[in-house]
Amino acid sequence: MKIGIPKAFLYYRYRELWQTFFQEIGCEIVTSQDTNRAMLLAGTKDSIDESCLPAKIYLGHVRSLIDGCDHIFVPRFENFGKNDVMCDRFMGLHDIVRNVYPEASLIGFDLASTEHKSQWQAYLGLGKTLGKGAIEVLLALRRARLAQEAADQKRQRQQNELFRQQGVKILLAAQPYLIHDPYVGGPLTAMIREQGAIPLYSDHCCRRQCRKRALEICGNLYWIMNKESVGAIAMHRHQVDGIILLAAYPCGSDALVNELVLRKVKDVPVIQIILDEQQSESGLATRVESFIDILKERKRVSA
Amino acid sequence: MIAEEYIWTEGNPIEAVKNLLRSLKESLDKLQEEAEVCAVGTTGSARKLAGVMLGADAVKNEITAHGVGTLSRYPDARTIFEIGGQDAKLILINDGVIVDYAMNTLCAAGTGAFLSSQAKRLGIAVEEMGDMALRSLAPAKIAARCTVFAESDMVHKAQSGYRKEDLVAGLCSAVVTNYLNNLGKGKVIQPPVVFQGGVSKNPAVARAFEKETGLPVIVDENSHLMGAIGAAILAQRAAAGRVFDFRAAERTFSTRAYECGGCANQCEVVCFYQDGVLLDTWGNRCPNYDRQKAALVG
Repeated sequence: MKIGIPKAFLYYRYRELWQTFFQEIGCEIVTSQDTNRAMLLAGTKDSIDESCLPAKIYLGHVRSLIDGCDHIFVPRFENFGKNDVMCDRFMGLHDIVRNVYPEASLIGFDLASTEHKSQWQAYLGLGKTLGKGAIEVLLALRRARLAQEAADQKRQRQQNELFRQQGVKILLAAQPYLIHDPYVGGPLTAMIREQGAIPLYSDHCCRRQCRKRALEICGNLYWIMNKESVGAIAMHRHQVDGIILLAAYPCGSDALVNELVLRKVKDVPVIQIILDEQQSESGLATRVESFIDILKERKRVSA
Repeated sequence: MIAEEYIWTEGNPIEAVKNLLRSLKESLDKLQEEAEVCAVGTTGSARKLAGVMLGADAVKNEITAHGVGTLSRYPDARTIFEIGGQDAKLILINDGVIVDYAMNTLCAAGTGAFLSSQAKRLGIAVEEMGDMALRSLAPAKIAARCTVFAESDMVHKAQSGYRKEDLVAGLCSAVVTNYLNNLGKGKVIQPPVVFQGGVSKNPAVARAFEKETGLPVIVDENSHLMGAIGAAILAQRAAAGRVFDFRAAERTFSTRAYECGGCANQCEVVCFYQDGVLLDTWGNRCPNYDRQKAALVG
């Protein structure tokens, strides 16, 4: 059985978990390609105007998978607890996809801890729809979680090495699906490297610690993924030369939380870059270049 | 400064660069002593294109260039207001180091382009606007948050009988309110304040800045050239010792943009040719664009 996984949104948070899980229960995986302009255009065409850029991209990925697999995996994430909520976009995603592409066969689960739909319950349900027994599913989930944890830890270790390196270091604090999407955050990280600076990623930090440390900047952040990126700022603000807040237009939670960060974090240079589907790269280059010039100059003067 | 020129791009940066070269050459030829060009720097929206054309030693973004230029004249400056043709910037400086900046994002309200389009609508030259506005005794209040609103507001005010100088005065203060609301949001504006860019030549805008901020605003006689001065200083620092040839003005440069079909990214590749030979390309996200297609001069 071929399972299609869109390479967008939470793929950048759960890649190893999902891949290992499906492999362990004996499924073949088809991952969509890296985001490209054709996918973005297709996704934009199939979306409503008000949809955010990454959601448009997600639909483009789903569309590209329709003919290449038996089922497309589109899970629903609601919350991980009372005050650890996902953006509404993730709550509605499964239904949006089902309505936009009625011809696609979707599989997924509901993850809503407040309604007793925890991770293992979610995956048990998913396994059941694929005709897999509970023990097989739980064993697969266990291995998948270990795989994800190992991969996360490896990324954290590699990043910790970078923190110790010399040079201008910039923390990219944003949703992982913006930072790591080659079409969205890719040009930005390339520009940072081209300017001789080192990009560091908010999602390559320990998530559990980040969620705790986010309290230092704001006591009642509601969205779990924003907590994680804000927590990374709290953890590393004194180890980096500057912070770039990356947001996609029109992301509601980022609009609110980034504004909060801009007002509260005053001891390290911060800029916000908002991406949309029309963004020309020259405007982006001017902003990034001048920000890095500022950081280099500050470093030179303080040294 | 031994030679200077300030011209409009008029949608054709290649021709503008050539005209600049011709004019600078003329000024240099008139000098008593012989002058030599040791380094070339470019900045602004067409910095890359002009940089390739001239083999520039420094190609720098306009924020850094403006900061460096201004600091060379006013080492104590803390705040720079810059309003150019296409965008507006606010640069904050601490101890001679740029520490923060803001730039207008998706909207061109409050830039030179806004003023010149309104000037056209009123049938006056953009250069006249400042002096005309200063003659106004009762400036019209014009909505400043958006160009489109400002324009319809202006039409209403005109039809209700406001005099032209009152409208122009209203437009000039609208630029300032818009600038401070958009770029100045959350920033602390410290003196000395330097106002530069093409729009700084408009004395009514400079006065409106003083009124709104309550701070004296310095406008240098070369305020329109600060970015160029900064680029020149950066070029001097980066000079590679190449000999510059004014004959660039007589070469044929052309550009052609095409949508690359090499992969699904469909990048818009801009090809830049000198005398029919491909000199550079940009816009492509990867090096796998169709080189043969790019090499063809369109």
